Amino acid sequence: MYQAARQSLPLSLSLVSLATAAAICLPLLFVCSMALTADASVWSRLWNTRIPELLWNTSTLALSVSVGTLLLGVSLAWFVTRYEFPGRTVWEWALVLPLAMPTYVLAYIYTYLLGVGGPVEQAWQWVAGPEARVFSPHSFVGATLVMTLDTFPFVYLLTRAALLNFNVSYEEAARACGASRVDVWLRVTLPLLRPAIVAGLSLVILYVVSDFGAVSLLRYQTFTYAVYQQVTGRYDQAAGSVLSLLLVLFALIFLLTERWFRRRSRFYQTTGRYRTPARKTGGAFGSLLITGYLGLVLGASFGLPALLLLQWTVSATAEGTVDLRFAGFIWNSVLLSGLAASAAVLLGAPLAYLAGRWPSKLTVLCFQAAYAGYVLPGPVGALALLVLFSHLAPFWYGTILVLIFAYIVHFLPAGLQTMEPALQQVTPNLEEAARSLGLTTLGTLQKVTLPLVRGGFVAAWVLIFLQCMKELPATLLLRPVGFDTLAVRVWLEASEEYFQLAAPAALLIVVMTLPALLLLVSKDWRAA
Amino acid sequence: MLTARLSSNADRPTVLELRKVTCVYEKGQSAIADISLSAREGEILCLLGPSGCGKTTTLRVIAGFEPVAAGEVYLGGRLVSSPDLLMPTEARRVGMVFQEYALFPHLRVTENIAFGLHHLPADQRHAQVQTMLSMIGLTGLERRFPHELSGGQQQRVALARALAQKPVILLLDEPFSNLDPDMTGRMREDLHNLLMHTKTTAVLVTHDHDEAFAMADRIAVLNNGRIEQFDTPEAIYHTPATPFVADFVGQADFIPGLVQNGKVVTEIGEFPNQAGYQGGTKVVVMIRPDDVHIVPQEECSARILARQFRGSENLYTIGLPSGHIVHSSETSTSVYPVGTPVEIQVVATHTVLFEQPESPRGPEGP
Repeated sequence: MYQAARQSLPLSLSLVSLATAAAICLPLLFVCSMALTADASVWSRLWNTRIPELLWNTSTLALSVSVGTLLLGVSLAWFVTRYEFPGRTVWEWALVLPLAMPTYVLAYIYTYLLGVGGPVEQAWQWVAGPEARVFSPHSFVGATLVMTLDTFPFVYLLTRAALLNFNVSYEEAARACGASRVDVWLRVTLPLLRPAIVAGLSLVILYVVSDFGAVSLLRYQTFTYAVYQQVTGRYDQAAGSVLSLLLVLFALIFLLTERWFRRRSRFYQTTGRYRTPARKTGGAFGSLLITGYLGLVLGASFGLPALLLLQWTVSATAEGTVDLRFAGFIWNSVLLSGLAASAAVLLGAPLAYLAGRWPSKLTVLCFQAAYAGYVLPGPVGALALLVLFSHLAPFWYGTILVLIFAYIVHFLPAGLQTMEPALQQVTPNLEEAARSLGLTTLGTLQKVTLPLVRGGFVAAWVLIFLQCMKELPATLLLRPVGFDTLAVRVWLEASEEYFQLAAPAALLIVVMTLPALLLLVSKDWRAA
Repeated sequence: MLTARLSSNADRPTVLELRKVTCVYEKGQSAIADISLSAREGEILCLLGPSGCGKTTTLRVIAGFEPVAAGEVYLGGRLVSSPDLLMPTEARRVGMVFQEYALFPHLRVTENIAFGLHHLPADQRHAQVQTMLSMIGLTGLERRFPHELSGGQQQRVALARALAQKPVILLLDEPFSNLDPDMTGRMREDLHNLLMHTKTTAVLVTHDHDEAFAMADRIAVLNNGRIEQFDTPEAIYHTPATPFVADFVGQADFIPGLVQNGKVVTEIGEFPNQAGYQGGTKVVVMIRPDDVHIVPQEECSARILARQFRGSENLYTIGLPSGHIVHSSETSTSVYPVGTPVEIQVVATHTVLFEQPESPRGPEGP
C-alpha cells in the first residue's frame, strides 16, 4: 500500500495536544469567570478593605526590589565584563548562585539573622549600645532586602549577556564624535543596555508579584499572600478569585513588557564583526575593592545563608532530626516531582512537535495556550484547581492527582521552552532521508528522531523535576492531608521559627536546585 | 610622471604625521613597528595590506584608541600620541567611519548625524544636519532607524555623522567591505567625489588594491606590522619596492635570472640590469600578465596550460620548459587551445628586479 506523498496531520496527536491545552487553560479561565461573576458586594467589600492596601504593598515592593536589583545587577555585570581581576570567571558564574535559594529559604534565614536577639542585632548593639534595634525582617524593608538578594541575578544575567555582546564600536564611534566618557555612558551605553535591563526587571517584578514563600514568611501582605489567606483562613473562594484576577492582570503586564523589550533588543545588534571591549585592570587596590563588593553581595545572598544551613544541618543531624520521617518527606517530594515531570514531558512533546512540524492556527494556538501557566502565580493556580476539582470531581479532591495537575500547569511552559529547540532540530528532511535509506516509520523514530531529541527532553524533565521539588504554595494548598514534602516542611518549621529543624530540608532543596541552575546558565536560562 | 598627483598637494600643510610609531598589543609582540607616514591637507591616504598586517591598528592609533609604545603621532601640528601621552579620542576631532558603521541603533538618522554636534545651539545643529543630509542625498529618510536603511545608506549616514563635526581628518576602516560588490564601484566614486568636494583629508584602510588605486593619492602597503612601501598608486604598481608589494597589488610572476654582461638573462629573454646588480648575481624578474604577449609557434617549448576567460580578456597560464609559470593577458578574442606551443614576448616599460632570496624558490614562484 502506498502512503500519501505528504503525511497528513496525525489526528491522535492533535487530540492529545488539544486536550492538554484546554486542560491547562481551564484553571485560568475558571478563575476569570469566577471573579467576573462574583457578587458585586464582594468586589465593593474588597475594594473598600483589602485592594488598596494590597495594590500599594505589592507595587511598592515591586518598585523597591526593582531599584535594588537594578543597582546590584547592572553594577555587578559591569564589573565582571569590563574589569579584569583575580578569579573573575569564578565570580562570573558564582553570582547566579542566589537563584538556587528558594525565596522562602532566604526569607527564613533572614528572619533569624535580623530577628530580635539575632546575630545582626547583637552585632549592632555591640557597636551602638544595648538599646539599639535593627529593622525588623517582618517589614517592607525586610521583604525588599530578601527579594532583592534573591532576584538580582535576573538583571545581572541579562545585562551581562548584553554587555558581552556589546559592540564596542558604538562607544568608540561616540568618542570619535567628541563625547566624553560620561556622555558615552549616558547617551550610548545605557540606552543600548536598556532593553536587556528592562527585560531583566520585568522578570524580577513577575517574580516578586507571584512570590508566595518570602512574603508569607515575612508576613508582608501582598496579593499572593492574601489569596492564600482567603482560601485557607476564610474559605472565601469568590474573594480569592477576585484578588487572583487582579494579580493575573498585574503579572500579565510585566510578562508582555518583557516580551516586547526582548523583541526590540534584536534590532540593537548590527551585523558585522564585534570588537569586545578591552577589560580594565584596576590595580591591586581596585581589584580588592571589586572583590570586596562582589564578596559582600554573594555572601549576603548565598554564602552566609548556605553556611548557616550547613551548620544547622550538622547540629540537627546530631540531634537525630534526620530520621525515617525525614526520609518520608524526601520520598514524597521525589515521587510527586518525578510523576509531574514525566507527565509534563509526555504531554508537552506532542504540543511542541505539532506546533513545530505542522504549524497551523490550531496547533500554534494550543502551543501558546500551554504557556498560560506563566501568568498563574502558584497560589492562584492552586486556588483555581481547588475550586475546580471540588465542583467538578470532588472524589479526586485531596489526592496527589490534583497536585500533579497543578505542577504541570505551572511548569509546562518551562519544559516546552527546553523541548521546542530540540524538536526543531529534527527537520522533515532528516526523517525523509532516513525513509529513503530504507527505514520504516518506527525505525526512523528509533534511530533518528529519538536520539536527536533525547537531550532536550531529559533537560526538560530535570528542569521540571527540580522546580517541583521546591514548589511551595500549590503544594501547601493542595497536598493530601499529612502528605508533607521537603518544601512544605521548611515553610512550616520556619513559620514557627524552628530554624534548626528546617535546615536539613532547606539545604537539600538548595543542593538539588544547583543542577537546574547549571542547565539554566549553560543553555537558555529563561527556561527555569 | 609618477609624482604628478603629488605636486598639487606639495605646498599644503601636513595634517597627519606618524614618526616611527610602534604599538604593542601583548608583551614583546608588536602589532605595528616603525610606522612613519604623513598626509597633507586634502590628501587621501590608503593603508593597504592583508588582514592582520596592522593597518587597522595604525588607524586606531591615529584615532587614539590604541596607545603607542614608541614614536609620535601629530594631528594638525599638535602632538597627540607618544609613549607618555595619549590625547583622548574625543579631544582629537577625528571623524571615523567604522567597518560595520556602528550607527547608534537607538537613534534616528538625524540624531545619529547630530550626535557630535551637541555643543551647538539647536538651530545651527539642525541646519548642519540638513546640509549633511542633502550632501549624502538622503533627504527624506530623517526619521528612519539604522536597521531600516540599506547597507549603502547606512554607510552614507556613518559618513555624514563623521563629517558633520568638521573633523581634522577622516578615518575610514574598510568602508566598502560590508557592501554588495556590484555597488562598490559607484560608492567608491561617490565617496571620492565627496572627499574631493569637501577637501577632506582622509586615511582609508583596505585590503583591496583596486579600491586603494581608485581612491588614494598615496598608498602605504603594510605587511607584518611594517610599511613595505609608501608611494603613489602608479609607483606602487609599476615599481614595487619588494616582492610582497609586487604580488599584493596585482598578479605577478617571478622568473629567475642571472646577471651576465650587464644584462639579466632569463629563459624568456634578456632584461636590462636597471638596479645595477653585480655580474653573477641571482635575481628574479617581476612580470605582470599585461606585459606578456604570446604568439603560437610550432617549434617553441613553452605551452599553454590553461585559459581563463574573463570577459574583457583571456588570461593564459603558460608553462615554461623549466617548470616555471608565467601568465599572459590577451584580448578577449584571442582564443588558443590548451597545449598550444607559444612564443613569449615581454614588453615592459620598467623592469623590476629583486635579488633572489637565499632559500630557493619553488617552480610555482613566490
